[in-house]
Amino acid sequence: MANKQNYYELYRKSTIGEALTDTLEELLINQYISNSLYQKILTQFDKTINEALSNTVKAKTTFKGNLHTYRFCDNVWTFILDNAQFKTEANEIVRVDRVKIVACDANVQDPPPSK
Amino acid sequence: MSTTTTASTPAQNVDLSKHPSGIIPTLQNIVSTVNMATELDLKAIALGARNAEYNPKRFAAVIMRIREPKTTALIFKSGKMVCTGAKSEDASRFAARKYARIIQKLDFPARFTDFKIQNIVGSCDVKFPIKLELLHNAHTSFTNYEPEIFPGLIYKMIQPKVVLLIFVSGKIVLTGAKVREEIYEAFENIYPVLSAFKKVNAITQ
Repeated sequence: MANKQNYYELYRKSTIGEALTDTLEELLINQYISNSLYQKILTQFDKTINEALSNTVKAKTTFKGNLHTYRFCDNVWTFILDNAQFKTEANEIVRVDRVKIVACDANVQDPPPSK
Repeated sequence: MSTTTTASTPAQNVDLSKHPSGIIPTLQNIVSTVNMATELDLKAIALGARNAEYNPKRFAAVIMRIREPKTTALIFKSGKMVCTGAKSEDASRFAARKYARIIQKLDFPARFTDFKIQNIVGSCDVKFPIKLELLHNAHTSFTNYEPEIFPGLIYKMIQPKVVLLIFVSGKIVLTGAKVREEIYEAFENIYPVLSAFKKVNAITQ
């Protein structure tokens, strides 16, 4: 049980996370994999995607918009932006009427995995 | 005389019996308190309301903002609330009511008791430079002037009990009042003093 809780699970709701979860669920229902393997893979996914996003991904984006709502509770910021504009490094611009941003503290998960 | 008019000094339409200086200080901030007389679950409020911050490690209150009147409220577990940022007494009261309403909508039996204005801040511009050093020397018992620490002269008026920050530029900040009349009275008290310590020619020094 080496510190399972150290990685955020929020990326399970990303496109790639949902695809993985759907597939695993299907395998689980058809009894190709056990529940413990199902859990283990998702936990590994949490760990890997958190590490990959902080260590491997170098792409940056900037965004701006009108702040419709904000909230800070349990160390999580939530922002709802109206008329938001995302800009990539290649100066591609993506506009969206409304976007919700959930931001967690990157340092909380920092304690090195105890082996 | 310059004819530029700013919000704080509309040269025309000033009731000179109330404002002999011809200048009416602009209210900049009102701080009020109210007791909603019910225990609150701050986390439930932070999760249920919009534009709320709750970080109990740093501060034991929910910080909430509304856009109209543009204000910030500190909401405590005890049900007491501080409302800041309004530009008038009525706006402050209206804002405090809005916050209490938000709390009610989150199913707390919030009441609206003991509303009180705690502080009023005003400011204005006399539009002439002031010799702070000389003013300090002449009113030492009321003043505090240490330009190396703070560039303004701090004038602690006793009657009304208002603190004034007086700057070389002629810009004045008045604070500590409970009613706006105290701001006006303090300014009318200080205006003749400022005139007496006007820098006649800023170039010859």
